[in-house]
Amino acid sequence: MALAFDEFGRPFIILREQDQKTRLRGIDAQKANIAAGKAVARILRSSLGPKGMDKMLQGPDGDVTISNDGATILEQMDVDNQIAKLMVDLSRSQDYEIGDGTTGVVVMAGALLEQAERQLDRGIHPIRIAEGYEMASRVAVEHLERIAQKFEFDVNSYEPLVQTCMTTLSSKIVNRCKRSLAEIAVKAVLAVADLERRDVNLDLIKVEGKVGGKLEDTELIYGILVDKDMSHPQMPKHIEDAHIAILTCPFEPPKPKTKHKVDIDTVEKFETLRKQEQQYFDEMVQKCKDVGATLVICQWGFDDEANHLLMHRNLPAVRWVGGVELELIAIATGGRIVPRFQELTPEKLGKAGMVREKSFGTTKERMLYIEHCANSKAVTIFIRGGYGLGNKMMIEETKRSIHDALCVARNLIRNNSIVYGGGAAEITCSLAVDAAADKYPGVEQYAIRAFAEALDSVPMALAENSGLQPIETLSAVKSQQIKENIPFYGIDCNDVGTNDMREQNVFETLIGKQQQILLATQVVKMILKIDDVISNSEY
Amino acid sequence: MASMMQPQIILLKEGTDTSQGKAQLLSNINAVTAVGDVVRTTLGPRGMDKLIHDDKGSVTISNDGATIMKLLDIVHPAAKILVDIAKSQDSEVRKSSWILDLFSVDDFVGDGTTTVVLLAAEFLKEAKPFVEDGVHSQNLIRSYRTASTLAIEKVKELAVSIEGKSVEEKKGLLAKCAATTLSSKLIGGEKEFFATMVVDAVMAIGDDDRLNLIGIKKVPGGNMRDSFLVDGVAFKKTFSYAGFEQQPKKFDNPKILLLNIELELKSEKENAEIRLSDPSQYQSIVDAEWNIIYDKLDKCVESGAKVVLSRLAIGDLATQYFADRDIFCAGRVAEQDLNRVAAATGGTVQTSVLGTCEIFEEKQVGGERFNIFSGCPSGRTATIVLRGGADQFIEEAERSLHDAIMIVRRAVKNSTVVPGGGAIDVIPRQLCDNAGFDATDVLNKLRQKHAMQSGEGASYGVDINTGGIADSFANFVWEPAVVKINAINAATEAACLILSVDETVKNPKSESAQGDAAAGAMGRGRGGGRGRGMRRR
Repeated sequence: MALAFDEFGRPFIILREQDQKTRLRGIDAQKANIAAGKAVARILRSSLGPKGMDKMLQGPDGDVTISNDGATILEQMDVDNQIAKLMVDLSRSQDYEIGDGTTGVVVMAGALLEQAERQLDRGIHPIRIAEGYEMASRVAVEHLERIAQKFEFDVNSYEPLVQTCMTTLSSKIVNRCKRSLAEIAVKAVLAVADLERRDVNLDLIKVEGKVGGKLEDTELIYGILVDKDMSHPQMPKHIEDAHIAILTCPFEPPKPKTKHKVDIDTVEKFETLRKQEQQYFDEMVQKCKDVGATLVICQWGFDDEANHLLMHRNLPAVRWVGGVELELIAIATGGRIVPRFQELTPEKLGKAGMVREKSFGTTKERMLYIEHCANSKAVTIFIRGGYGLGNKMMIEETKRSIHDALCVARNLIRNNSIVYGGGAAEITCSLAVDAAADKYPGVEQYAIRAFAEALDSVPMALAENSGLQPIETLSAVKSQQIKENIPFYGIDCNDVGTNDMREQNVFETLIGKQQQILLATQVVKMILKIDDVISNSEY
Repeated sequence: MASMMQPQIILLKEGTDTSQGKAQLLSNINAVTAVGDVVRTTLGPRGMDKLIHDDKGSVTISNDGATIMKLLDIVHPAAKILVDIAKSQDSEVRKSSWILDLFSVDDFVGDGTTTVVLLAAEFLKEAKPFVEDGVHSQNLIRSYRTASTLAIEKVKELAVSIEGKSVEEKKGLLAKCAATTLSSKLIGGEKEFFATMVVDAVMAIGDDDRLNLIGIKKVPGGNMRDSFLVDGVAFKKTFSYAGFEQQPKKFDNPKILLLNIELELKSEKENAEIRLSDPSQYQSIVDAEWNIIYDKLDKCVESGAKVVLSRLAIGDLATQYFADRDIFCAGRVAEQDLNRVAAATGGTVQTSVLGTCEIFEEKQVGGERFNIFSGCPSGRTATIVLRGGADQFIEEAERSLHDAIMIVRRAVKNSTVVPGGGAIDVIPRQLCDNAGFDATDVLNKLRQKHAMQSGEGASYGVDINTGGIADSFANFVWEPAVVKINAINAATEAACLILSVDETVKNPKSESAQGDAAAGAMGRGRGGGRGRGMRRR
């Protein structure tokens, strides 16, 4: 920052290390910020839609992520610019709230910024642009509400849910199995959903992945999958009608938490100590047997002696099960977590219809299935894939895609309104906003029109990514919508031959779309409002 | 004592920078004006934000005068005074900033920081030609004081009392004040929404002075319309152990137990050691330890509490124990939150007094789960859960709400309001500039209105929407009178203070923090020590 001089030619320093700071102000600051925001949007633009491309990102430790999910890409990019960080936050908050549409929201914000830049060049005050955008976003959100359609579903007829999830999955790498994955996601959500309160706790859905096998082998397990095996290879691999003792205490003599020492000065004492230890083991196993447990799941380990004893007494056991899984097992089997052996009672045992160990491929990897549980409100989605390459990337991307699909299903349970995808919603909003613009006096009118134009950029990007002529396609669809006054026409990305998104079954959730518009507007307003950037020059 | 033959007396340490006289005075004025220029554009509903990187690389985007001034890290001694007045206007800083005793300490307002800085800078700018012409600065100071008294009287005259109105009416009026403050902020688009929320929150805590009873929780994600007010307490789900999910998550009229102990199986004394000679005693020690914790847990259950909160950890054993008995527990609750719960539910930490509330529930808010206590009997707390698209966004929203809360509290206490939208020359001018209007034109119109004999034009201000002038009062652009008075007062005092300084002695850098040293020298060393310059009220 340049030094200021007074009338007598003496410099005066106002800020600490003033000469090392840079300052951008006025229109320059806005231009620079807009450029940064646009740059981020440009990166994601090509990922939009069913024909969107993936990004490969290499982390600092050499780990590679391949993803199509906007939030993931931005998170991994590790951007440094402050405005770019705002865009990352934007995508992330869409992810938190909706879980889907993370790419779309950034593309939209980018388009809004681009339009704002044009308006700035015309000499419109940035705040008035922002205000115009805000008015326009309200118009758009209301319009969406009007055109949204509700569909009814219940536990048995969930076809519309599946269709909507498929729309989400179609842009992902896993789209060849989208039908089966969508069904899995919907069934999983329905299994844990509280339809009366319209609440879904996604924590109850566990997503596990294991490299190997095919994507088609991905399955939904009504129960829990634990990446553990029986503590002893000779223990039974199948337990039907299992009564499960869930323990947080180790199979070993209890230890006081206070520091302690046992003085042993005679052989007899040593003998008693040993005997007592053995007796402990014996009692513990006996206690489990007494209450009727047929399987022991233990948070901690136990040594070989205990292991042997358990095998001998024909009591299968699993050791080193993590706290989170333990909790899930307890919820699923209706059991209680027991902190010490004395408190074991038959009522505290969890019940499962079938517990089995399953091995995969030729490797020695085994997993434990706990199925037909007393309480089915905990499910696991078990993802396979990776084409046998030992490649985790595919599994990770599938997990993310499933997460998106789960979120969509959850949102639909919360609010069963949908709008049409494929850019149809954006196009009809654009028309509505454009029409509304004329009603506003004042400079904001221009900003509102700019907003309408920015909305067009989403279908435009869709068309572009699908290898269509963007401008021609968009104008064709637009005129079709106006002519027939039907808001269902969108971009035919998959070249099915119709623009009618109802026929193509391309749906998106209403709240997701509304959120996109509101969030993008909010962030753009924030960026436009900055007219002064003071930073240390190394930035 | 000084004879002609003696060499020059060295009074100050080597390297000390002194400058004095009229030149110094002008230089100080220039510095202040420069600072004023920085915050100038943030004024009013069309004001802009600043993005500031600090030394550590963290970034703030703000529209709040006090925040910006604080972050600017100003070292110029005269300019620093401006920072201090900005702070004094913002109640956040009640620290013993030396300048505080200049202004009556009660009058912290929390809003109008930009106005103060701008006014002070403008006063000084106006003074500059007079100083150059050789008017003695003490004369200027005296006239400024007189002028400010006049201005304050005028404000008082204009003020309209909201005392004696019905609660509903009052709420509406307060919301107007809050909306005026918020209109210049990032969340201006939703000002009505937030204004009502702020008024409800302030009304909820009533006359209580403890501002920390209004909690503001930030949850990234969602849009700002998803923000909501809880008439009670809300806090984020704390770290939980296995078994937590088996606890019930919703209660009607639960009893709430507040603790400050650890509920965990652990050694009672850190450095105790037990020596056993007989291995068979072993079990008894183990049992004794378990009994201690079970004893504690039993007492919690016996109390009849359905919700157990502790400031310290609640371990996995306790979690599962409570789960078995259908009790909800949360450990490691932040102290502030716990105090708020205590105030809201009427309970006391660590006694037999249990609190209660109508509904307790664990709810999903964005990506987080929140514990929400609502419908509390004593109703002396409120929590605002803020949502927004980006971290920066929520931070700024929080600062804005802070301002609005302060304003509403002022209005509640002093219950007089004045029309906003510009009362003194520089303010409307800047408002116009920021809104992109022809400042001179609007100002002349305003002048004409205000000069009208009948006095009915006195409440006219700038109309940001159309670019003309409008009756601010009718348009509900209101500010509490005390804010305006304080702003005029503070700005005048700052201007007078700077005008009264004619010499700066700056010690070489070695001392502690350079900035503090400079400010200290300004304040105490000069004013107090040598007995000239500064006048304390």
